[in-house]
Amino acid sequence: MGMWISRLMSAFGEREARILVLGLDNAGKTTILYRLQVGEVVSTIPTIGFNVETVTYKNIKFQVWDLGGQTSIRPYWRCYFPNTQAVIYVVDSSDVDRIGTAKTEFHAILKEDELKDALLLVFANKQDLPGALDDAAVAEGLDLHNIKNRQWSIFKTSAMKGEGLFEGLEWLSNNLKR
Amino acid sequence: MSDGKFFTTTKKGEIADLKEELHSLDKAKKKDAVKKVIAAMTVGKDVSMLFPDVVNCTQTDNLEMKKLVYLYLINYAKTQPDIAIMAVNTFVKDSQDPNPLIRALAVRTMGCIRVDKITEYLCDPLQKCLKDDDPYVRKTSAICVAKLFDISPEIVEDRGFLDNLKDMLSDSNPMVVANAVAALAEIQDNSTKPVFQITSHTLYKLMAALNECTEWGQVFILDSLVKYEARDARDAESIVERVTPRLQHANCAVVLSSVKVILAQMDVITNTELIRTLCKKMAPPLVTLLSAEPEIQYVALRNINLIIQKWQNILTNDIKVFFCKYNDPVYVKTEKLEIMIKLASERNIDQVLLEFKEYATEVDVDFVRKAVRAIGRCAIALERSAEACINVLLELIQTKVNYVVQEAICVIKDIFRRYPNTYETIIATLCENLDTLDEPEAKAAMIWIIGEYAERIDNADELLETFLETFLDESTLVQLQLLTATVKLFLKRPTEGPQQMIQMVLNQATQETDNPDLRDRAYIYWRLLSTDPEAAKDVVLAEKPTISDDSNQLDADLLHELLQNIGTLASVYHKPPDAFVSRARVAVTRGEDLEEDPLGSGEEGEASDMADPTVAAAAPPAAETPAPAVAAVTDLMGDLMAPAAPSALAPVPAAAPAADPLGDLLGLDVSAAPAPVPMPVAAADPFALMDQSQPAAAQPKPILLDASKAQGLEIRGVLAREGGVVFWDLDFSNQSQSQLSGFQVQFNSNAFGFTPKPNGLADLVVPPGGSASAKLHMMPGGAPATALTNMLQVAIKNAQQPVWYFTPTIAVEQCFTEEGLLDRDAFLGMWKSLPDVNERTQMFPAANVPSVDTFTLKMRAHNVYFMAQRPVPGTNQIVTYWSSKLPQAVLLLEMTLQVGVPGVKCCIKSANPDYAPLAFMAVEKLLASATN
Repeated sequence: MGMWISRLMSAFGEREARILVLGLDNAGKTTILYRLQVGEVVSTIPTIGFNVETVTYKNIKFQVWDLGGQTSIRPYWRCYFPNTQAVIYVVDSSDVDRIGTAKTEFHAILKEDELKDALLLVFANKQDLPGALDDAAVAEGLDLHNIKNRQWSIFKTSAMKGEGLFEGLEWLSNNLKR
Repeated sequence: MSDGKFFTTTKKGEIADLKEELHSLDKAKKKDAVKKVIAAMTVGKDVSMLFPDVVNCTQTDNLEMKKLVYLYLINYAKTQPDIAIMAVNTFVKDSQDPNPLIRALAVRTMGCIRVDKITEYLCDPLQKCLKDDDPYVRKTSAICVAKLFDISPEIVEDRGFLDNLKDMLSDSNPMVVANAVAALAEIQDNSTKPVFQITSHTLYKLMAALNECTEWGQVFILDSLVKYEARDARDAESIVERVTPRLQHANCAVVLSSVKVILAQMDVITNTELIRTLCKKMAPPLVTLLSAEPEIQYVALRNINLIIQKWQNILTNDIKVFFCKYNDPVYVKTEKLEIMIKLASERNIDQVLLEFKEYATEVDVDFVRKAVRAIGRCAIALERSAEACINVLLELIQTKVNYVVQEAICVIKDIFRRYPNTYETIIATLCENLDTLDEPEAKAAMIWIIGEYAERIDNADELLETFLETFLDESTLVQLQLLTATVKLFLKRPTEGPQQMIQMVLNQATQETDNPDLRDRAYIYWRLLSTDPEAAKDVVLAEKPTISDDSNQLDADLLHELLQNIGTLASVYHKPPDAFVSRARVAVTRGEDLEEDPLGSGEEGEASDMADPTVAAAAPPAAETPAPAVAAVTDLMGDLMAPAAPSALAPVPAAAPAADPLGDLLGLDVSAAPAPVPMPVAAADPFALMDQSQPAAAQPKPILLDASKAQGLEIRGVLAREGGVVFWDLDFSNQSQSQLSGFQVQFNSNAFGFTPKPNGLADLVVPPGGSASAKLHMMPGGAPATALTNMLQVAIKNAQQPVWYFTPTIAVEQCFTEEGLLDRDAFLGMWKSLPDVNERTQMFPAANVPSVDTFTLKMRAHNVYFMAQRPVPGTNQIVTYWSSKLPQAVLLLEMTLQVGVPGVKCCIKSANPDYAPLAFMAVEKLLASATN
């Protein structure tokens, strides 16, 4: 019966999607998650583990998994890869020193077989901070333009100000397969 | 068609199905999946591989689901310590949940997850919850601190959680106070530092909480109060006043804990009137405990047994409640009997005896015997009632029930010891039952009575003679008594009859038995009688010390400790808690301390050339404490003087009167000996002087360390193997002036990688002029040396002397391990796979194997296992195959020999042929022992 209901739901246009929010530590993943969910900035501590919340946007129920970005936790990201429709990769645009590390991790994710069909959405976060790289520079830093055969997009965001986030969701909702 | 199809299946299996369901977006389906997982876990299926998937279900707003997932986490976090970290954030979030039930659930679960890697992360949430607004969360957090202390005491101390707990003692909620007390008490139990001490301030808080918290909370608080030392009598009185109402509680544990607190404070209270009132108040609750189930009754009885040993008057008037009911289980009956004996007094003895007599007619033989024994113990304890007891015993003897009669005779012997020359008139009655005695103890008791009162029993010699006819068939106990009784008879009536008897019994005891006790005692008597019959009289017929009934009586210190532990397992076992609770953590830290300092800090330079730094210093409890020689002799004489020392009754000052005649006796011996022997040596081994013809004790072990080179410390030893462990059986003797202790040992790296058992000799103490033995276990597993010899370089030191070095040889034949047993196929496979370069051969021209079967047994005893044998065609020779294993190498042996003809060719194949020469040494010895 469960199957039947979910089919019925999709017939009415209500869809569900499983999204992973990944990125280095201190990129702003948890802040983005709660900005999307409750619409305000909550104070966070480093996430040792994960958060999962449901965000409804334009008839799509996004099940958003925010995984801790610390080095010790990154190996366990792979446990969350199956059945993922999209990855939101969050980059701290003001952390110029670690853009290289961010690139390495990002390309490791690209190689994952289980994520080969997932949409890639990059948030160049912390645009409110002085000295933050713009979207083009971040795309350059992550070497996005060499990605072939994958759907991707990059947005300038500021979780603090709430800018750019819903534009990203908009892109996701338009591109998720029906 | 290939068989590959059997390996591919369309079925994904249960785990894969569960995994899929756990990822379902449908909440109901997901919950059902978690339930299925928990169900599988509960029935013992391993579902640990679902760990990441289940962890992903933790963040849910469904409380039921959360509880299930947490249950799973507690169970499997240990098996998946790495990925358990993914659950941390959930705990952090849940500990801030608006619902206090979820906050408490998170804290409780955190405490149960014992994974080092995530402990650190859980401290912040715990810190918050300790200060939570909700008392339910606070009380749960308090227990969590105790759990955390078990994982990591350092974190608890560094984070100041102990102070949090102490603050909680002043909490407004009594349950929080109770749990804080429980946590602190638990921590104190596992800590060497003083953590939890009740001050007069906290005392007041605890007292206030006591009246309001749950029953188990009350138990925690009461238990902690026991350790509080009242400042003065008034302080104690106020505690007692607050605790007394708890005696009315329906929970047995509360009652026992209250009794415990009151008893502890009664030591301080000076007001005798108050003490009397308290005793009166404690009786009814204790009696009430006996109306519960038998199991609880038993616990109550064990505790009451302790209580009345100190405060008999509490229950003297209630002795009737301890009378056994016919349907009481036997363990309750036994305990009740014990308490009745303790409560028996001249006032109630008539009643008690009636009861005992009743019990003695029951069907349970064991209980009947105990009842009879109880009568005897009452007789010994209550002088004025002894006669009444004896009359009951005589009545019981009249029943002629075999086991009753025998038990009664044993008991009467004790009564004779207690009241000498008082009740001999009943001996005649006893003698009527001589024929029915068939148990050694009863026989021995009867014989003792005959010997002791030989002068009053007209036909004592005839009676003894009938027993003597079967002397050699009797048990040792009876033989010893017969010997002593005959001597007594002879000394009392030195006529011809007894003289023949004594001659016969001494002959038989010295020549026809192989029991050393009996033989030695006979020799002493013989010598004594032949040297000076008057002295013999002084010794054998000396007045014996009075006995008293101290069976099941605890000594004051132990009793005090047990009274402090009323209501715990210690009070049921009647053993101090450290006797059965091991404080593992404390032991571990101590071990580490020792390891850090392998050979003492002083001799680093000296030791370094030999000492392998990874080899730890030594010390197990194997070494027996050497009893001083003099004590051994007094024991022996004590045995002589009180030949009938009843098993349950100990002679009071046994050794004192014995010491003098002993001095005389040995003095005689010494002067008679051809060469003057210094006294201490004579005292140490009197029998060595008396009987040179005895077979020498085991050959002295070879000297490993010469006394002249080591300031008077001599070490002898052999290498032996027992129960799969190789050990040095060492004898230490100390010819120096000071006591030697604190022994530590190290080995240089050796062929077999042996290291001494850590702290293997720590308990060894060698008194000046004395000796001691110890077993030093050789632990395999160290790195083997590159040069393979059978020499072992040993460094040994003690707290008093510098380091000594010696180099004994390792008896290789003791080093083969039990793992050497291979099955035939394994042997054959290994034999074929080893190339010829791995083969070593040696001839043993003198070796001669008279029988393969006995040789096989001999080899097997040393873990060299017989595999197969086949004849060599055209000769009388046979080839035998054997498997064995030294710690570092499996060795396959082939021995070509002819039964009964000298000359054996041995060939060894091994993956590690360097060990072959060592194995040849062992083979040579084993062959030599087979030849002899």
